[in-house]
Formats: sequence, C-alpha cells, structure tokens
Amino acid sequence: MTVAIPCIQSSGVTLVLVVSNIDLTTDLPIMKPSTFLESSIKDFTLNINNDYRYLKAGYYVSLHAEILGNQVIPSSENIIDAYRTPILLLRASKAGIPTMPYLVTDSVKQIISEFNFPVVIFAVNPFSYNGFKTAKNRSALYRALKSLGMNYKFDVCAQPLKGEMISLKSIFGRCELNRDASKISKRVYEVFKIPICKLHIQRIEGKAYLCGLQPLKNEEISLHDLKMISEEISQISKNGENLVG
Amino acid sequence: MVKIWLASIACFVEKYNFTDPKEAMALQNFKIAAEKMGHEFNFMFRENLLEIPKYDAVFIRATTDPLYTAYIVSKTAWELGLKVVDDPKSIQICGNKIHLYELFEKYNVPYIPTIFLNKDELHHKRILDVFRIFGRPVVVKAPYTSFSRYVEKVACETSFREVAKRFFRKSDVLVVQKFMPTTFDWRVGVLNGEVLYVCKYMVPKGRWKHGAKRRGKPSFVWGRTISLKRENAPAKLKETALKACELVGHGLYGVDIKEINGDYIVVEVNDNPSIYAGYEDFRNRDIYSKIIAYLTD
Repeated sequence: MTVAIPCIQSSGVTLVLVVSNIDLTTDLPIMKPSTFLESSIKDFTLNINNDYRYLKAGYYVSLHAEILGNQVIPSSENIIDAYRTPILLLRASKAGIPTMPYLVTDSVKQIISEFNFPVVIFAVNPFSYNGFKTAKNRSALYRALKSLGMNYKFDVCAQPLKGEMISLKSIFGRCELNRDASKISKRVYEVFKIPICKLHIQRIEGKAYLCGLQPLKNEEISLHDLKMISEEISQISKNGENLVG
Repeated sequence: MVKIWLASIACFVEKYNFTDPKEAMALQNFKIAAEKMGHEFNFMFRENLLEIPKYDAVFIRATTDPLYTAYIVSKTAWELGLKVVDDPKSIQICGNKIHLYELFEKYNVPYIPTIFLNKDELHHKRILDVFRIFGRPVVVKAPYTSFSRYVEKVACETSFREVAKRFFRKSDVLVVQKFMPTTFDWRVGVLNGEVLYVCKYMVPKGRWKHGAKRRGKPSFVWGRTISLKRENAPAKLKETALKACELVGHGLYGVDIKEINGDYIVVEVNDNPSIYAGYEDFRNRDIYSKIIAYLTD
C-alpha cells in the first residue's frame, strides 16, 4: 500500500519525512510508524521515537527507510550499537568520548579480579533495558548479576564506579547539565545520531564519562522537551542533508 | 620450543556448542584443520572476551543475534580490524527475517509469499484477510527465529492470536507466510560467494519442519540430513542460493530453499549455519580447511 507523501519542501532542496510516535508541537506533517512501515516513500527520513530498541517500531522505521534507499536518522546499525553498552563504549571511546574501562562477563570472580568495589553493572541481555545497578560488595554484586544477567544466563557489562552516576535526557544531543555532560551528549549524538535517549554518565572530580544509553519512557518527555524536539525538526528540515553525517 | 603460528584464530563458543557430540567433533575438526595449516585455533568462552585483541581472526560458533553476546564479540572484533565470521552486518540482516525478506523483495529473490504484520493489525478483519490471501493454515514466524524455533503453523483465528501475541512480546512486527509443505528443504552452505556444501534437511514423518518440538517436552526431534557433493547439486539451486547471499554479504551462510514444481524458493538465509560432523561435511570434507583459509586470508 502506498500512502500520500507528507513531506515538506524546505527553502533548499531537502524533503524531510518525519515519522514519529510522539505527539509533537509542530506544524510539520507527521506520519505514524505503522503507516510508514506500509508505505514506500522515498525521502530523507527523520525517525522520532522515545524508544529505538532493536525489534521495536522505532528500529523497524529506520530499517524500512534504509531498505527504501532513504537517508535516515538514526541508522539501524547505530540503533543496535548504541543500545548494546559494550559496543556503545567501544565506538564512543574510538571517537574520543571519555568512557570508563568495562568488562563483559557473567562471572563475579572476574569482575572482582579486574575492578575494585564499588562497580556499576549494566544488562547485556535481550530483555532488560532500564537502569543499572551499583554494587558495593560481593553479595550486592552477586545480586546484581543474578538480576541483570537473568540468573547468570546472560552477560553483564561492569564498569568501576569512582564518582557519582547521573542520568540525563539527551534531545538531539542537547541536555541541560554542566558543560562536560553537555559535551558528551553532543558527541554521542554526533557519533550515533540517536535523537531521543537517556544517557548515563559518571562524574569523577568534575569530569564526565559516558557509561550507558537507554530509551526514554514516553512520560519522561516534558512539554519543554517536545518544544526542543520540534525546534530541532524545523532546523533539520531546513538543513537536513548537512546533518545526516 | 615455542611453536610459531601463521595466524591466531579465536573460535567463540558457549558450553552448549559441546553438548551434541557431532557438533563437538566438527569444532575439533576446525581446530585440526587450522593447526595443519599452521594456524593457532583456540576456543574462546564468555569469560575470555578481553583476549579478542590478541587474535587475528574470530570465528563465531555460538548462536548469533544482535541481542546476544555473539554480536558484541563480532562487533568488537570488527571495530578492532580483525577478520570475523559472522560479521556484524550479516548478524544484523540474518538475525531479523523482516530485514531479510525486505531485501529479497527489493532485489527480486524468489521467496515464500510473505506478509508483515505489525501490532496494530492484530484484529479480526486483518486475520481473515491473511487467511483469504494465503489459505489455511499459515505460518507465523518471529523475526528472530533460529533452529526452527518461534515458527508456528496456525489454522484458526484463536491460534493465530495466541501465537502472534506471544511473538509480539519481543518484536513489534511479525512475519506471516504461506504454508508450503515439502518433504525436505535444501540447505546450501555458502562461503564468500561460493557454494561450500549442499544438503537435504529432511522433515520428520508427520511433521512440517526439519526441527519439530516433541509434544509436551522441551526437546526437539530432527529430520535426517542427506549430504550431496556440491558439484552434483542442481545448478539452478546453487544460483538461487548465491543470489540470496549476495544481498547479505561475503561471509558464511546456510541458505534454506524449497523446491516446488521445479522452482527454487528461498525460505531464509542463515548466518552461523550448523556444521555437524558427518552431516554437512559428509560429502564435502574440505569445508573446514576452506573456512579456515577464508578466516586467515
């Protein structure tokens, strides 16, 4: 089924198709993910979703756009990589973003031999995607691995905890925290192009280090965020081709 | 004296890779082939992932999926510039049947008649529509299916809803296909754009797929595997398999193909294809050395 093209002709030549599951405060035409998935519209595609996880609608929108041959933000590859903590950290560190050392394992013993307590643990399994756990001692570490590793069936990603963990909303790389965290948010967007996400950052002696990236819940998006998203969309609709990277 | 190896290969495995003696034997055959060719070949388990940078190549035998540790191993090796089978792009494409079928559609690869169903479409009218198009029963497939799991045959709306709801828990889009029963599926092993082996995966009596779950039990019953010399397999079959793999990449793949009235129809392309001693290698003994040569090229 082919659907009418809800694209805009900007001042330049770029046509931007906005596909979103969020009710945005913008005058631009927006297409629902389910409608886009049945369409064959060939335009630069801006995929706006609070949750881009693999196998979820946000992922399929980017995938479908790529199959159609569209340039799309974000790409399906970046989606997979950004949500897999060890790959996020590997690619971020290659791009010069400060990260903490990490270990992918299902073994408490190995974590203890590599890092001193406390440690922060992120899930590396198909089911957990929200938050992280910190462990100050061996028994807390066992509990964290049992829970996030789903009874030790899956690996976890362990990182040393040397400062304070902060979680922040990143909207097109913009966030409202101090300079260091903002810089990380901006750089993560430049590398992975995930428009809406939650970043987990560790602040050690005033310096920020990237620790993880997770989806935002719909209810976590405020009116102010919606305004910011709409501004960014307008900006991209004017300069779209320059922002794909 | 310390042996000097030409290249060092890590084979990423999980404990379950050694539970079937035929698979364990195939893994040993890889090791023997590599060492005969002058390469080091070590099994790498989850607890040794820090060692990835010290190898020249990584060969993944544990089950791959973008959400499993195998993807992290593959992508890490890839980012570090190592040769890797299965490479992350192949895992991304083959690990999701929606991705695969969209590519087949775009590039005219003959494949089983397929409809994608998203969550909003699980309603009476759409289900009737599906039965009208494909007849009954139809096959409902989760995009992350592997080893015949998460593929079910349904003939009524109630079963359709029950299966779809279960698969929708993990994926927002599902695959629904026409039911096309055959006594066997062709399995064509492909490496770097060349046919490596050809088998027939037989369907067990009274079942409709190669691996079928035993009623009320967690175990599976598998059909026989009949191996053919690759040069004796039909040319059109091999051509179809190579065309399908071309869309995915240049790695190691197992293509499942149905033969219906002389036509070859692709069921799917799998990365990380099963290699069991005495099955896939029975008529093509060189598959181990060919894969090692590719990894160390």
